[in-house]
Amino acid sequence: MIRLENVTKSYSTEVVALRDASFDVAKAEFVFLVGPSGSGKSTLLRMMNRQERPEKGSVWVAGRNINEMSDSKVPHLRRNIGNIFPDYKLLPNRTVHENVAFALEVIGRPKHVIRQQVPAVLDLVGLSGKQERFPHQLSGGEQQRVSIARAFVNRPLILLADEPTGNLDPATGEGIMRLLDRINKTGTTVVMATHDQRIVNMMRKRVIQLDRGIIVRDQARGVYE
Amino acid sequence: MISRLRYTMREMWASLTRNLTLTVAAVITSMVSLFLFGMTLLIQQAFDNQLSQWTGGVKMIVYVKNGAPDDAVSTIQEALESRPEIIKNVEYCSIDCSLSQAKKLFAADPESLKFLSAENIPSYFSVEPVDKQSIEQLLSIRQSFVALPGVLRADFPSDQITVLGKLKSFFGVRTYVMSGVLLFASVLLIWNTIRTAMFARRREIEVMKLVGATNWFIRLPFMLEGLLQGLAGAALGSILLLLGNADWTAGVRKFPSTAGLGGFVVTDGYPIRVVIFMILLGAFVGAVGSATAASRFLDV
Repeated sequence: MIRLENVTKSYSTEVVALRDASFDVAKAEFVFLVGPSGSGKSTLLRMMNRQERPEKGSVWVAGRNINEMSDSKVPHLRRNIGNIFPDYKLLPNRTVHENVAFALEVIGRPKHVIRQQVPAVLDLVGLSGKQERFPHQLSGGEQQRVSIARAFVNRPLILLADEPTGNLDPATGEGIMRLLDRINKTGTTVVMATHDQRIVNMMRKRVIQLDRGIIVRDQARGVYE
Repeated sequence: MISRLRYTMREMWASLTRNLTLTVAAVITSMVSLFLFGMTLLIQQAFDNQLSQWTGGVKMIVYVKNGAPDDAVSTIQEALESRPEIIKNVEYCSIDCSLSQAKKLFAADPESLKFLSAENIPSYFSVEPVDKQSIEQLLSIRQSFVALPGVLRADFPSDQITVLGKLKSFFGVRTYVMSGVLLFASVLLIWNTIRTAMFARRREIEVMKLVGATNWFIRLPFMLEGLLQGLAGAALGSILLLLGNADWTAGVRKFPSTAGLGGFVVTDGYPIRVVIFMILLGAFVGAVGSATAASRFLDV
């Protein structure tokens, strides 16, 4: 589903975010990217949805080299990739339902599809009774569930999660992980960057560890270390 | 398609009302600049009308010295009538006729009138040129008439025509420059309004880009917002121009027709053509301002 071949990216002559990174992620796989701050986890995620481009190497998503993709095709690529952020990136002036519907609306999905898919995905994330609430009326965990619902409402092939439990307490974080695991079991590939040792050790999924832009470990059913 | 259209319209309206102060400022600037531009076109047309009217009815006046003998008057008349290729008509106004004219002209100024009498007022020939082209030729041979015995002087209203021409050029250049500067200010203001609107919605734009909205889908509401601002400015400016023109027309028509100001009234559909042009220009100004901002600031 995702392939990185010898990817190198630097932000200046001194800051090298990624150095010669290569790995494959299969369909429906769950992969943790771990490592200290500045190790290149977020840069890797940003390359997978073409927010950034590598200086060297290539990034393949669903069989296509996305570095060579024209800018006009990037929106269509992103419709197959859901994004989850540590700060949720919800729109404060829109309700839960509107935030999720927004993701379908802006890619031109018809109203009857929105009416059908939004309640279904809110039910999946456990927010069916809170559709009309605004983000500030929700807890952090609930806000992250809205963010996951928005990322998943279009049934993407891939879910990229950047520190989704970073701002949550351990119990809420576990709930979010159970949700991501359920989504993964529907066949969606999940790539998640995290610092959360407890969660990585609990899930026992594939772990790719980065250190100053270099992949230092790629372990199936791994732990944080 | 319908859902996209509905979304675009809803977002455009939301953005317009969210930045109300900036929107109003942009619309007012567009209105003033387009009004000034339209007014310039009308003023130019008014000057053209007036110049055409004045040059159309222009006459040379050859004044005869008071007390000039009758044969001198006859010689002058013969000299004038000997140039039918450039002179269409020659009319003699005797001393009595001159006095009668003076009484009409100075009806509101009896103090000046009392200094005029049969002893000091000159008689004159009113000389009508064949057409506008013959005015130039008449001007060039004016001195030959002045040299005739009994001629006091030969006057031509060309000086007034020159003044009017200069006034047209003076107003035209300055008002075109002013309206050009204001139109540029409108573009910048609309550009800034769109930039501010995009900055206010940077989080939304970021989410839209990440979930796969196309750049055109994101840009369109902002571009329509700018277009609408330009059009609203043009519409208000047009209303102002039509009202102003109606008021001006009514004002000018209060003058007697003998005042010769009729040319300053601009009608015959010309103001409507100006209004159509203003609306197109307003749309262009709005589109240019918003399109450049929407393209430039999409990466928020």
